[in-house]
Amino acid sequence: MARQFAVIGLGRFGYHVAQTLTQHRCEVMAIDNDEEKIQSVADLVTHAVQLDATDEKALRAIGVQDVDAAIVSIGENIEASILIVMTLKEMGVREIIAKAVTPIHGKILRNLGVSRVVFPEREVAIRLANGLVAPSILEYLDISPDYSIVEIPATERLVGKPLTEGRFQSQYGATVIAIRRKVPYITEAGESEFSEEMRISPSPDEAIEEGDIFVLLGPKKRLEQLQTS
Amino acid sequence: MEPSQPRTGSASKDRAREAAELVEMGEFYFINQKLGEAIKVLKKAISLDPKSAKAHYNLGIVYEAKNLKEEAKTMFEKTLQLDPGFPGAQQHLDRLIGIGEK
Repeated sequence: MARQFAVIGLGRFGYHVAQTLTQHRCEVMAIDNDEEKIQSVADLVTHAVQLDATDEKALRAIGVQDVDAAIVSIGENIEASILIVMTLKEMGVREIIAKAVTPIHGKILRNLGVSRVVFPEREVAIRLANGLVAPSILEYLDISPDYSIVEIPATERLVGKPLTEGRFQSQYGATVIAIRRKVPYITEAGESEFSEEMRISPSPDEAIEEGDIFVLLGPKKRLEQLQTS
Repeated sequence: MEPSQPRTGSASKDRAREAAELVEMGEFYFINQKLGEAIKVLKKAISLDPKSAKAHYNLGIVYEAKNLKEEAKTMFEKTLQLDPGFPGAQQHLDRLIGIGEK
C-alpha cells in the first residue's frame, strides 16, 4: 500500500513537497484554505482539500489522523503553524514534520513534539555557502553534527587508477559510498549525450574513470580539509 | 570569369566539411571516453567553423561529462545563440544553472 501524507500549506515549499511525494507514488492529501492554491495542485495530488487546518473536526472528516506523516509547511503565519501542529498532535498523527522560519519558531515546534523541524532557507543557504568556499565540492550535506556527505570530482591524477589510490580513508577517514559515473551514448537524433550511473559501494579495485564523481561519507572536520587541499 | 568569389566560397565549404569531420571524430572519442582527445578535436572544429552549433554542443557535452561546468555552460549558451532550437542544449544549460531536472 502506498504511504499516505498530508501536506498542510501549499506555498512554494508545500507545493514542491506534495509534487515530489506524488512523483514517488505516495498518496498525498494537500490542504490549504486558499482556493487558488488548491486548484493549482488539484490535478497533481490524490486529494486536494480547501479547509481551515486549525479546525480539528474538518481534519478528522477527511482522515488526516490516519496518514503516515503530516508536513506543516506554513512558515509566515507562526500562530497558525503552532495551532495546526497542536491540533495534529491531539489527533494522534504519528509523524509531524514542520517548517520553521525563525529559531524561536523552530524551538516552539520542537517543544510541541514534532518529529522534525526544517528551516528550508537556512539549509539551502548553508549548502550554497559551503559549495562557494569549496569549489571542488559539488554537493555538501550534513547528516549529523559530526558527519557529512560530500561529492567531489575525480582529479586527472587518479584516472585509470584503483579507488584505493584516492586514499580517502587514510587521509580523511572517509568512505567512498558511491561513484557517479557518466555513460556516453548517441541519441536517436544522432547527438552526443550521457546518462549517469550510480555505482554503490564500489570495490577498492574499481578503476577510476574520467569525469567520475566520488560520494564520500566521513567526519565533517576532516572532510573540511578537502576544501584547502 | 569570377575568380575570387567561388574560391572563397569553396575554401569556406572545405573548412566547414573539415570541421564536420572533426566533430564526428570528437563524438567517437567521447563515446570511447577519451574526453581529453575529444576536447582537442572539437576545439579545432570550432576554430575552423565558428558557426557550427553542433561542434559547440558536443564540446559542451564533453566539458559537462568532465565536470567542467562553467566551460560547459559557455558552450551551451553559444550553441543556442547559433541555433536556438538545437536539441538538448537548453535542457543541459537549465540543468547546469540549477533550474532543470537533475
